[in-house]
Amino acid sequence: MKNTFTQSMAWLHTWAGLIFGWLLFAIFVTGTLAVFDKELSHWMQPEIPASTVSQADVAKRAISYLQQHQANAGNWGISLPTERSPGLSVSTGDRRHGVVVPLDPNSGEPLAVRDSVGGNFFFRFHFTLDLPRNWGIFVVGALALVMLAGLISGIVIHKKIFKEFFTFRPDKGQRSWLDFHNASAVLLLPFHLMITYTGLVIFMMIYIPAGVDAVFEGDSRAYFQAQGNARVEQPRRLAKTPADLVELAPLLAQAEARLGPIGSIGIRNPNTAAALIEVRPVLGNRIALTKGNAMVFDGVSGRLLSDVPELRPAPLTQRVMAGLHFAQFGGYPMRWLYFICGLISCAMIASGLVLFCVKRGRKYAPADSRADAAARRWYRVAEVCNVGFISGLMVACVGLLWASRLLPAELAQREAWEVRAFFGLWLLALLHAGVRPAKQAWVEQLALCAVLCGGLGVLGIFAGGVDHLRLGVEVTGLVLGIGLALAAWRVACPKPAVVKPRAARTMEAKA
Amino acid sequence: MISLVTGSLLFAYAGMLGLCQGLERHYKQVWQRSPSPALRLSLRALGWLGLLLSLLLCAQAWGWAMGAVAWFGVISLAAVVLVMLLPYWPRFAVALVAAIPVWSVLHLFG
Repeated sequence: MKNTFTQSMAWLHTWAGLIFGWLLFAIFVTGTLAVFDKELSHWMQPEIPASTVSQADVAKRAISYLQQHQANAGNWGISLPTERSPGLSVSTGDRRHGVVVPLDPNSGEPLAVRDSVGGNFFFRFHFTLDLPRNWGIFVVGALALVMLAGLISGIVIHKKIFKEFFTFRPDKGQRSWLDFHNASAVLLLPFHLMITYTGLVIFMMIYIPAGVDAVFEGDSRAYFQAQGNARVEQPRRLAKTPADLVELAPLLAQAEARLGPIGSIGIRNPNTAAALIEVRPVLGNRIALTKGNAMVFDGVSGRLLSDVPELRPAPLTQRVMAGLHFAQFGGYPMRWLYFICGLISCAMIASGLVLFCVKRGRKYAPADSRADAAARRWYRVAEVCNVGFISGLMVACVGLLWASRLLPAELAQREAWEVRAFFGLWLLALLHAGVRPAKQAWVEQLALCAVLCGGLGVLGIFAGGVDHLRLGVEVTGLVLGIGLALAAWRVACPKPAVVKPRAARTMEAKA
Repeated sequence: MISLVTGSLLFAYAGMLGLCQGLERHYKQVWQRSPSPALRLSLRALGWLGLLLSLLLCAQAWGWAMGAVAWFGVISLAAVVLVMLLPYWPRFAVALVAAIPVWSVLHLFG
């Protein structure tokens, strides 16, 4: 351990930041992309057309399709087109093992849509790292704790938070990297603390289950039912009596007036006297994350049976924090705020990782350095991991978008191949970083990433399916691509440090 | 909505610029001379005023609950833009506040 409190905090910040920063960067990048998960999903499935048909008409078409093909199913689900995802799909069976059929919202006919993991992959990777079962959730939780420790220790060792609040001195090597790391961390500190802490709160019942176990005697289902909708049960014999389904449009209008835009409809026991219609809003007319809340109507009379529940203070607090993390509220302007803040967070983590190497480069990098061989090897490992986990991960992320468009649409288990493309590219990038000198590896991978990001639009033109949402994805890709190209260019030809003119000036002043 | 959000970003930028120019080292960075204590104080006061107006515009755009959340994001991003502009184009970073009158005209009469 180190002598003083500040020194031990600096030690913690350096080493925890390096070892866990690589995965934290991946979590932050995928989390940032997940802000636009639906839009990315839409981009990755170019068969889904844009439509301007009203939700009531679309719902009618979905119902007539279901009446024709699935009249006897026990459950119907309809996922309606929304502002963020113009696709329509119907499903039968329960949520896990159901069969989903995408429909054309303009005609109501089934649509052949390629299988794709969609932007949902980034969302899932963000909190599971694609690990099986709950392991990922625990790993990500532990990493979030490290992130909090990194933020707090960073505050402790940064002695001039207010004095250097607006300070950034470019073209000065290590000093510039430290300035950028500090500025991006300090100026966005509210965001960093909020996003890390609320990320932990989402899974608090998994991380610290003792409270719920004690109150509900380990019955987590009872716990979830206690805060969700009161479950409306119809007498079972009614489910055997045929009855006509009520017209949906007035119910949708009623629900929309109460809840805001509607996202999906669920119908239990359709075409029987026990029919129940659940209308769920899209998330986001309030901060609190109200996933699973629905207005429940009688499917025959259309009478409102159960309204969305009012949350009690404790669950409300948790839901508001989860909502702050999920960023489903406040519409597109808020989404863009979260996205850009997320990008800066990623840059903050990346600059910290690079700083580690910049600081030690002079000592360990040259072949004739006097540092011992073991230390130099470890330095090289840090260098390779930096390239592979920063630019390599970005290549993998944008590579997934390319894979979604380039893999043949009829490929069996297509989604698995997309995921393989993601991890394959990441692995290749790590290997590439291992065999190339660090500077070349940075330049080549950043340039590749820039080309892939900027090229999304070209791919879009050739592969078809242009609409305003997809265009948004492509333009954003282009802007990010230009940024990455600038970064690659700056690494390739760094400006000579402009220390000399200033030194000359001070000399003159002295003379 | 877009107009209000733009306005809140502009006022947040102006606010951060005021606070920044109220510091001697950054005032010198732009104007190559020291500010008088009175000027420093009024720049800071204007800075806080800008941030406050930005909060009001956020609240108008999103309501107070969401507006307060958005405000933290808005002032953070505005400050990042300022910090990145300042070393490269210091005069331009200051001149950018001229966007506020333009925005006001467009917002009020547009």
